[in-house]
Amino acid sequence: MASSDFSPSGASSPDGRSSPIANTNSSPAIGPAGRSSRRRRRAPSTTPSPSPGALLTPSATPSASVPPSSTPSSFRRRWTRRHPATPSTPMSADDNLPPSSDAGDDDAVDHDDADSAPVFVWGTNISVQDVNAAILRLLRHFRDPREAGRGDGLLDDGKYMRSVHRIMELEGGESLDIDAHDVFDYDPDLYTKMVRYPLEVLAIFDIVVMDLVARIDPLFEKHIQTRIYNLKSSVCMRNLNPSDIEKMVSVKGMIIRCSSVIPEVKEATFRCLVCGHYSEPILVDRGRINEPTRCVRQECLAMNSMTLVHNRCRFADKQIVKLQETPDEIPEGGTPHTVSILMHDKLVDSGKPGDRVEITGIYRAMSVRVGQTQRTVKSTFKTYIDCLHIKKTDKSRLLLADQMDCDNSTTNKIVEDENADYQDKIDKIKELSKLPDIYDRLTRSLAPNIWELDDVKRGLLCQLFGGNALKLDSGASFRGDINILLVGDPGTSKSQLLQYIHQLSPRGIYTSGRGSSAVGLTAYVSKDPETGETVLESGALVLSDRGICCIDEFDKMSENARSMLHEVMEQQTVSIAKAGIIASLNARTSVLACANPSESRYNPQLSVIDNIHLPPTLLSRFDLIYLILDKADEQTDRRLAKHIVALHFADPETQVQEFIDLPTLVAYISYARKHIHPQISDEAAEELTRRYVEMRKRGNAPGSRKKVITATARQIESLIRLGEALARLRFSEWVEVRDVAEAFRLLEVALQQSATDHSTGTIDMDLIMTGISASERTRRENLVAALRNLVMEKLQIGGPSARLVELLEELNKQSSMEVHLNDVRNALATLTTEGVVLLHGDSVKRI
Amino acid sequence: MVGLPYDFLANPLGAVRQTFEKAVASSPTDVDPAAIFRGKDWGAVDLFRDFLFEKGGLAQVPSIDSSSMRWLQPNTLVRFRGMVQDMLGNELYVGAFKDGSSWRTNKFTDFSPIRLPPACETQLWERHLVYCVPVPGQNSWVTETTSTPSTQNVSSSTSQHVGKRGRGSEDEDMNLNVESDNGDLGSSPNAKKQKEHENTCSSSCLSDDLMDHGNDSVFGSGDSNYPTCLVKIYDLPESHLKLNDVFEFIGIYTFDPVLAVHKDDYDDPMFDLFEDPTVDLPPSKVPRLHCLICRKLDTQDFLSNPLAFEPLSNVARGIRESLLSHLTAILGNDELAAQYLLLHLLSRVRAQVDVMSVGKLSLNLTGFTRESVSIFGHQLTGVIQKLLPFTQDITLTLDYLNTATLQPRRNNKTGRLVAGVLQLARGTHVTINETCMQSGTLSSNGIDNARLLKNLLELQKVEYDFEYYKLEMSADVQLLILSEAKSSILPADLVLPFSPRSVVSINATIEDLQAWRWYLATMRSLPCSIEPEMNLMLQDEMVASMQEDKSLGCAELNRWLTMTELISASFGEKNFSLEHWQMIKELERLRKDRLKEKAR
Repeated sequence: MASSDFSPSGASSPDGRSSPIANTNSSPAIGPAGRSSRRRRRAPSTTPSPSPGALLTPSATPSASVPPSSTPSSFRRRWTRRHPATPSTPMSADDNLPPSSDAGDDDAVDHDDADSAPVFVWGTNISVQDVNAAILRLLRHFRDPREAGRGDGLLDDGKYMRSVHRIMELEGGESLDIDAHDVFDYDPDLYTKMVRYPLEVLAIFDIVVMDLVARIDPLFEKHIQTRIYNLKSSVCMRNLNPSDIEKMVSVKGMIIRCSSVIPEVKEATFRCLVCGHYSEPILVDRGRINEPTRCVRQECLAMNSMTLVHNRCRFADKQIVKLQETPDEIPEGGTPHTVSILMHDKLVDSGKPGDRVEITGIYRAMSVRVGQTQRTVKSTFKTYIDCLHIKKTDKSRLLLADQMDCDNSTTNKIVEDENADYQDKIDKIKELSKLPDIYDRLTRSLAPNIWELDDVKRGLLCQLFGGNALKLDSGASFRGDINILLVGDPGTSKSQLLQYIHQLSPRGIYTSGRGSSAVGLTAYVSKDPETGETVLESGALVLSDRGICCIDEFDKMSENARSMLHEVMEQQTVSIAKAGIIASLNARTSVLACANPSESRYNPQLSVIDNIHLPPTLLSRFDLIYLILDKADEQTDRRLAKHIVALHFADPETQVQEFIDLPTLVAYISYARKHIHPQISDEAAEELTRRYVEMRKRGNAPGSRKKVITATARQIESLIRLGEALARLRFSEWVEVRDVAEAFRLLEVALQQSATDHSTGTIDMDLIMTGISASERTRRENLVAALRNLVMEKLQIGGPSARLVELLEELNKQSSMEVHLNDVRNALATLTTEGVVLLHGDSVKRI
Repeated sequence: MVGLPYDFLANPLGAVRQTFEKAVASSPTDVDPAAIFRGKDWGAVDLFRDFLFEKGGLAQVPSIDSSSMRWLQPNTLVRFRGMVQDMLGNELYVGAFKDGSSWRTNKFTDFSPIRLPPACETQLWERHLVYCVPVPGQNSWVTETTSTPSTQNVSSSTSQHVGKRGRGSEDEDMNLNVESDNGDLGSSPNAKKQKEHENTCSSSCLSDDLMDHGNDSVFGSGDSNYPTCLVKIYDLPESHLKLNDVFEFIGIYTFDPVLAVHKDDYDDPMFDLFEDPTVDLPPSKVPRLHCLICRKLDTQDFLSNPLAFEPLSNVARGIRESLLSHLTAILGNDELAAQYLLLHLLSRVRAQVDVMSVGKLSLNLTGFTRESVSIFGHQLTGVIQKLLPFTQDITLTLDYLNTATLQPRRNNKTGRLVAGVLQLARGTHVTINETCMQSGTLSSNGIDNARLLKNLLELQKVEYDFEYYKLEMSADVQLLILSEAKSSILPADLVLPFSPRSVVSINATIEDLQAWRWYLATMRSLPCSIEPEMNLMLQDEMVASMQEDKSLGCAELNRWLTMTELISASFGEKNFSLEHWQMIKELERLRKDRLKEKAR
């Protein structure tokens, strides 16, 4: 009988050195092949420790030998590092009996119960038999209520019986994952016991499972580990306290460090240096190996001749992982807490630094020994969690980004958390979406501290929700992302809006135009300094694929960096042809850019194009262009004043509006993006065409001399996208007439600000498309004509040249409007290309 | 309590244990006596509070510094002032154990007084570990007043505690004040001498310290004169202490030579991996302090003689005048600059509304050259150092930006927060001298540093790097920038061209300095409120101003309002008045004129 105990490797219960169990460094080992463990033997717990560290088994007597049944296969396994023992849940010890010997009775705690006296877990009122029976019931009979509707034949077995079968079929030394919620639903009492006395209950769990397996297939010899996950409540890392010790807890956090894998001796084999005799494997006992002092062979009996044979020892993997609190759990002014997690065997390397995980495990404390040699113990303890189950949670940004993948094909195998609080959240979000004023409410909640700018916020909201991307069979694709440009006076909190959107948007990337080069935004090829391989590295736009790329100070971006954006904003790809790599990367990103007017303040006399030095080709790719201007009117002034005063002196009146908090907003948006794919209803489509035609007609209004384009095909695409976003915002599957109407309104608000020709007062898409309004164009043509006449009139071919200023004076005399020197220059340039004049510095010569 | 069987100062643990045993004995028998006292005080702390504050024991408690470290006995009562630089999480310890039939406690100590009997019943309790350093940039006058084991702090500390303890202790306070005055008399000549010495040795020694601070990464502060301290906090919710708070801890100093050497003989990888953030903090260098009582300190607590009177506006006005004239002289008779400087020195972050920090007022004095910085800049920083308890002085150069570590960063290998230059206590004043900046290329570190500085200026937030994510911590730092022209790396709230007319060198007397310190600390903390009707009038005023000047935006008005609050505070008034609003408008007009003049 080997003695083993429930405490995994080196761990000790809080009573430290005093407990014989506490310092035991042996993880329970599963016997070598051929010996299915059926029996649980415990070192008798002599300690009066308050910790429920041991099971009291009446008949157990410690005996520290392993049966010398060394078949070749078991030999091999002894030094295999990845043997199936999973010490994190305590397992029963070896027993030499054939597994079938007592199969058949329902009570898995077989031998110990021979005397049929009720066995209790030490220090508790938990009856081992009761727990045993409860677990067996759970495993055999639990049926997932969610599967109740399905009627396939497999349902004769409960959920976990099927898992057990599956594991056995797969032949892997698998683990049986048990959802703690199921345990709770089926047997709350068992759940409570499990959480309070995890060591004991899990041991029984293992025994029951092994028993079950043995009954199905007596030859199945691998160990199946029970792993509990998804506890009803998870603890915040900083709230772990002494009362949680030896309990099952679940914590969420981020892995920040992983130690290297530590092989831990489980079983040591010694060889006599004198005669070469191999000792029997010696199990680790309480963290120590009792080295034999003399050879046991009768012929030899040499003293102090035994040496450890490393490759005949059995090792188990162990790893220590540091878990750190995630930012959302850290209170103001605190630093993140960390906790050590002990991983065993299969769990080793299952998490990488940077992963967000939820760990279910047993919280334990280990006394600190002052020195290796000294047995004195400091009065302080180190705490750690013995990991039972690790689940990558990542419900924040990264996962959201995946959720944004609108692939419908994946929906059938969404394995996402079906736990209650996720459902809760969904319900809450759906509840929200039903509110009649959800649109306004969302608008209000978007950057609530940024004051006014409601229409801009509405536009941004549409951008966050996005339209539907469309891919035709022909290969043509239409983007669903909405691009927005904010142009405005300094100090109108554009950057703050950007920052806010960046926070809200999954995979949002924030860059400043001033600092980013073209490669920084798109992608670049670099050579790995060590290997010399060329590596393609993604820039901001590629990184924000399916997100929003916020570019601040767009106007200060270098020309060629901006030119890269052309492709991104319409084709949604980034093409790279460099250093032998030709690649086209997806950059399905919405661009939110903000720019300052070129003269730092917006000059209403000039067009947008003149105000922001942006090429019209790029401008036209923005669905919405907002001018954020400081407009002086008393109403807004007063509101501003009130707002500022309220900042300084808390005003109870102002806190009446209801906001949706940031996490909810994020969840709302990601849910909508994932699940809602609105289509345009017939009425809406009709309305769209009607109003579009109307909009285009507006340019032909009587009185205007020339056809002014007020809307282009790009606009109708924008309108569709906006309409879809608006429907999505209401969680509606159909784009309705009102969405179209609102889309038109949003577009018009934006157009009115940016595309209004100041000299005529009409909306003119030419302004955006070419940078010159129609009226401006006629004016220029008139000027050229006038100048041509003048030149013809005043100058002779080959005659003396005239000075530019003289021409200007002449023109000003003739014209009703004042002509600027610059205009004259431009007009002369046109004439030069026509071959009428020759321009030499300041002098004009006719040819 | 007559004839105490224990000495609070020399054997505080005796008091702790005795009270524990008494409390256990008197607790009902049907419950586990040790369990009820988990996370609770059983009267020991009250006893100490009584001894320290009611009976004037505080004055006798030595504070930990480099000199006292040599003679301090372990297990005695000490005190320590410092900034919470890092929080090292919780520690579980055997809080109580059963020795035979009686319960004993290990609270407030690192190791048990007697060997734990084998196999005894134990109770696990927890305590929080915080790592404290001397406040970065602490000026020498602060420590002069505190290191002398005199009592100046006593009165202020007691008055702090009045609020906590409620009524009934005020009479004691009065006594204490009398006592403290006596103590002051005894120590003042000495202090004066030191101060004079300090005046002559210019700020150079201080900047050395700062350099040190920048380089030092392990101990957080380079001020080797003042030790850092590992404080163990009991029974307080963790949220009571925040990172970068300045605290005074009174507790039991422990030193265990066994622990001091224990770290090298770990072969067991287990120990390596369950690494202990305290491993880098050898007890010989970093004393352990088991905190009995702690209290958060304000700038006022660092004053040498807190004037007891309620800030009457008359007194305030007088001091304001003298301070203003001193500042004017320092600034070469530039009165406008002095006015702005005064407002700047009084500013503090009053509230954080989302991304806005209300109440900050950073000042950028332009028009400095390398030469004038050496005259006025040094004078200015010298004065600020003498006026405010915590000041930092940064000379911004390309090299500095590229190499310095401004950002505090968690080293996940050691589990420690490595202090950056910008890990500052609330209320710290930072002067940034930008005149030595050359043109050149910034490295990525330089860009990060510039961004950090900019964020601090604009948002009063510092980003702390926790490797896998960054956390923003709010700060309250007054920033003064000296530059040739308007700094674009460091966009301050206010830009003022500095135009000195003469060079005057004057020295202030100790009395003046003390009065000014008191003035700045007190007025700074004055609350500002507004009457409802004034609120409306103010809004009207604002609208009128906006109508007058279309270029006025949110930022300007916000700043004006901040300045108005500050100017009211500078007169010792708590209420907002339009008169002050007009004064600010006038000041701003003068500033704008000067800006225009410079632009020409």
